[in-house]
Amino acid sequence: MGAPFDLSFIFRFFPKLLDTLGLTLLIVAGSLAAGIFAGFLVALPRMYNVPVLKRFSQVYVSFFRGTPILIQLFLFYYGLPEILKLAGIDISKAPVLFFVIITYGLNTGAFLSETIRASVTAVNRGQIEAAYAVGMTGYQAFSRIVWPQALAVAVPVFSNVVLALLKDTSLAFTLGVMELTGKAQTLGALTQHFVEAYISLALIYLVISLVLERLLKLAERRLLRHEQPVSTGGGRFRLWFRLPRARSYRQLIADANAGKGGAEL
Amino acid sequence: MIKLKNIHKSFGRQQVLKGIDLTVQKGEVVVILGPSGSGKTTLLRCVNYLEKPGDGEILIGDYHLNCRHAGKKEIHALRQKSAMVFQQYNLFRHKTAVENVMEGLLVVKKLSKEEAYRRSAELLEKVGLGSRLDAYPSQLSGGQQQRVGIARALALEPEVILFDEPTSALDPELVGEVLEVIRRIAAEGITMIVVTHEIGFARDVANHIVFMDGGVIVEEGSPAEVLSRPKEERTRQFLKRITPEPNYSI
Repeated sequence: MGAPFDLSFIFRFFPKLLDTLGLTLLIVAGSLAAGIFAGFLVALPRMYNVPVLKRFSQVYVSFFRGTPILIQLFLFYYGLPEILKLAGIDISKAPVLFFVIITYGLNTGAFLSETIRASVTAVNRGQIEAAYAVGMTGYQAFSRIVWPQALAVAVPVFSNVVLALLKDTSLAFTLGVMELTGKAQTLGALTQHFVEAYISLALIYLVISLVLERLLKLAERRLLRHEQPVSTGGGRFRLWFRLPRARSYRQLIADANAGKGGAEL
Repeated sequence: MIKLKNIHKSFGRQQVLKGIDLTVQKGEVVVILGPSGSGKTTLLRCVNYLEKPGDGEILIGDYHLNCRHAGKKEIHALRQKSAMVFQQYNLFRHKTAVENVMEGLLVVKKLSKEEAYRRSAELLEKVGLGSRLDAYPSQLSGGQQQRVGIARALALEPEVILFDEPTSALDPELVGEVLEVIRRIAAEGITMIVVTHEIGFARDVANHIVFMDGGVIVEEGSPAEVLSRPKEERTRQFLKRITPEPNYSI
């Protein structure tokens, strides 16, 4: 394949590839947002056992989990405009990015809906009853008691989904989107240094993955701080940096009463 | 005053409560005894609609509810009148002790953060947890968690506090501290309905004892009447079983 191997190309490709990093991250972020929304919408009928919608959401989940994402991309990019044309709607002029984000969003939603459902049911029934007994409404009980805890349970699976999504975006180049992988292909073709381009590309994906993984790990620890034994600090995982600790109510009160003497910390 | 009239409840085809009438005067401590499956916990849970009674009327303070026409709004209003202490404590696990107590004050009573904190800290002090305000439930013993649960119920200043077997899940050596706290707040004249198996506690603290079996109230009266001179054979048998006569010799 092409020109002889030249290490320097790996470094020369970095800045060029990084130009398209924004687009890759945009696809990831857009798909995640769409995915969380779709995941929720699909999880609800299954959590509340709504007869017809439940069936519908099962079909949705099996389709997106049971077919390759590449096929889904093709189906949406080439198929969706045809179907909508029958309904009199013309979206053939919509940007490719639109189809890419819709497809990845729906795909992510299918995986997330399972996670959301499992996490919400993981919060024990007793706490919901306690919230009701205190006099909260159903919405208050969900948003203040169930949701924060479900979120913490969901983070580990959520990180898997995010990392899988990041790597899946590399398929968007098949529709001609100039994201990281698309750019690497082009650079390779231009210079005939394919291997160097791919090495460079792999390194970039790896670094982003590692950073995302760390961030989500931190989020998990923060959200699960209530399940940790009294003595924190040290521990098995050495963190790169520490999150500022949540300020306790004691401190809040002490601040609020500043000058009125005596609040001990 | 709390009045339950003709409360019925079925799970599927099985009738669990077969028309219960019960009156609790203000400041009274009513203890409900009975074998498991007698419907005592279900009755307690009907009072704040964690179980939906099939039929009957509930009156708490000035709020009256007919179970046939109970919508979301009515149930929500009814629940504001009572508080509950659970067998499994059911603390909010992602909140500290003081936040657990504050939650109802903030969300339901709409107090300011400072005011809610002040009152919650006071109550935790009262149940002997003044030094553990910022501990999460996972860092507290069962007895401590249950005392937070009691403080959470007290904070709402309800017409009645419902205790659902508050010491059944505790290690034996922790039962005492929780009963002691309940005894203390009972002495302050807070109305309570307590489902328990602690006969000694019932004898000491209750003003009124209700013995249930098979979904009906078999016998009720003062502790002296029901515990020492039970009229009904079923009560006698039950009491004999949970306080066996010493029939051993050393």
